[in-house]
Amino acid sequence: MFPVELAEIFLDRLERLGPRYNTVVTVTRERALREAREAEEEISSGRCRGPLHGIPYGVKDLIATSGGIPTTWGAAPFRDQTFEHDATVVNRLGEAGAVLSAKLAMIELAGGMGYRQPNASFTGPPRNPWNPERWTGGSSSGSGAAVAGGFVPFAIGSETWGSILSPANNCGVTGLRPTYGRVSRQGAMALCWTLDKLGPLCLTADDCGLVLEAIAGVDPKDPTTIERPFKYVAKPPEGEFRLAVLKGAAEGAEEGMGANFERALGVLERVASVEEIEFPGLPYEAITRTILSAEAASAFDEFTESGRAAELTAPEDHYGPYARTVVLAKDYLKALRLRALMAKAADEAMEPYDAVVAPTRRGVASPIDIEFRKVSPGMTSDVMGAVGNGAGLPAISVPNGFDEDGLPTGIQFMGRAYDENVILAIARTYQSLTDWHQRHPQDLTP
Amino acid sequence: MSEKEAKGVESEYLFGLVKEMYGDRLGPDELEEVRKGVERIVETSKELRAVKLGNWDEPFSVFRPYRKEE
Repeated sequence: MFPVELAEIFLDRLERLGPRYNTVVTVTRERALREAREAEEEISSGRCRGPLHGIPYGVKDLIATSGGIPTTWGAAPFRDQTFEHDATVVNRLGEAGAVLSAKLAMIELAGGMGYRQPNASFTGPPRNPWNPERWTGGSSSGSGAAVAGGFVPFAIGSETWGSILSPANNCGVTGLRPTYGRVSRQGAMALCWTLDKLGPLCLTADDCGLVLEAIAGVDPKDPTTIERPFKYVAKPPEGEFRLAVLKGAAEGAEEGMGANFERALGVLERVASVEEIEFPGLPYEAITRTILSAEAASAFDEFTESGRAAELTAPEDHYGPYARTVVLAKDYLKALRLRALMAKAADEAMEPYDAVVAPTRRGVASPIDIEFRKVSPGMTSDVMGAVGNGAGLPAISVPNGFDEDGLPTGIQFMGRAYDENVILAIARTYQSLTDWHQRHPQDLTP
Repeated sequence: MSEKEAKGVESEYLFGLVKEMYGDRLGPDELEEVRKGVERIVETSKELRAVKLGNWDEPFSVFRPYRKEE
């Protein structure tokens, strides 16, 4: 199939089905067809740029795009915001020949105001392609849903704490959170400078590897990017993989999540050793939570002072930014000092292993109209997320089954810093032994 | 003063500051939620403060003086 025909198919799905699920903010039809025509001409003349050439994709709507295409940050006060430039990640995908087809829905301001229920986007509550009465996860809601629904072949999301893995889990797709600094954040909305990462959501680990290869790399416009070139090579080890299960990581998981996690471990034991480990005793969640609160307070200081939080969609986001304005500087600095211990402790604990494995979340997609804490009281603990995001470690979530209501569940593999190829190889091997990633919502299958 | 009392005092002072700065734009229910938010922040801070660090334990960030490339 040629790029223009391919683009037309996905543009049609984005325009026809996207609104049903509140998945899309803007379909970039004109730009997509222009890029598709350019790709078609190049490919026809024998110049193929690589595996993404002519492939449509969408980006979370916190990633800047030029040409008058709005970049809304998912929030009503910014619904008419435009930029003169494309974000580095969009430029890199353009260089790879990919076709920008949509700006995808997201939780307003990437969830940075403390939302507690799904109706927290000016585009409406993001509905799950597996069941529109359920939530997609967030804050990269549209990025997860658009891939699950077959509205785009791949999407770019962002994660500060959980925002790629959560929609990957809820929507039954593969989501990769790269190592901090692997992908330039230039042109992306800042929520927390030392926690924000951009990464792909795709159907398979292989696709995530290919997309990461296209978007990774040092960028003079983002001083946090690292001088470590990334080439996707999902080569399994000579022997078996070495996996560690974090003690207690599956405790309190919903029945379907827990059962599917155990079954997945059974599959993995065919290709891996599995041992239980514990991270040394540190207040991991307090460390990352404090960094997040303090940096978000600063990043949105002018917005908070302006009082425009009252214009946000979720009622709890109207007052959400105020409490954290009183995080003390000494506590933020203490968190940054403890982060150093956390990073070393996590790396030491993980050194003998290829990855730490856990259920991606404790539960499946929650109902669209209920507060999270009412659905899953006491299920807020997330040591994997605190360590992974606080220490900037890569993780990938892949689908590992469905619960009794037909909702997808996910399993995550978290690696040591810069070990994306290792966790991609594990995820790829798992997907070669299972077919969960090949299942799609029946209502949306052509 | 017990740790619980100290925590309560700190929360009240910090909440008072938020109320002073932003109280005019928040309703009573919203202010109550902000109070709970401040209590959670103080709770979280206490967890951090409970860990003893050495004088030499630096923040995990590196400051480099800037000079424009010539």
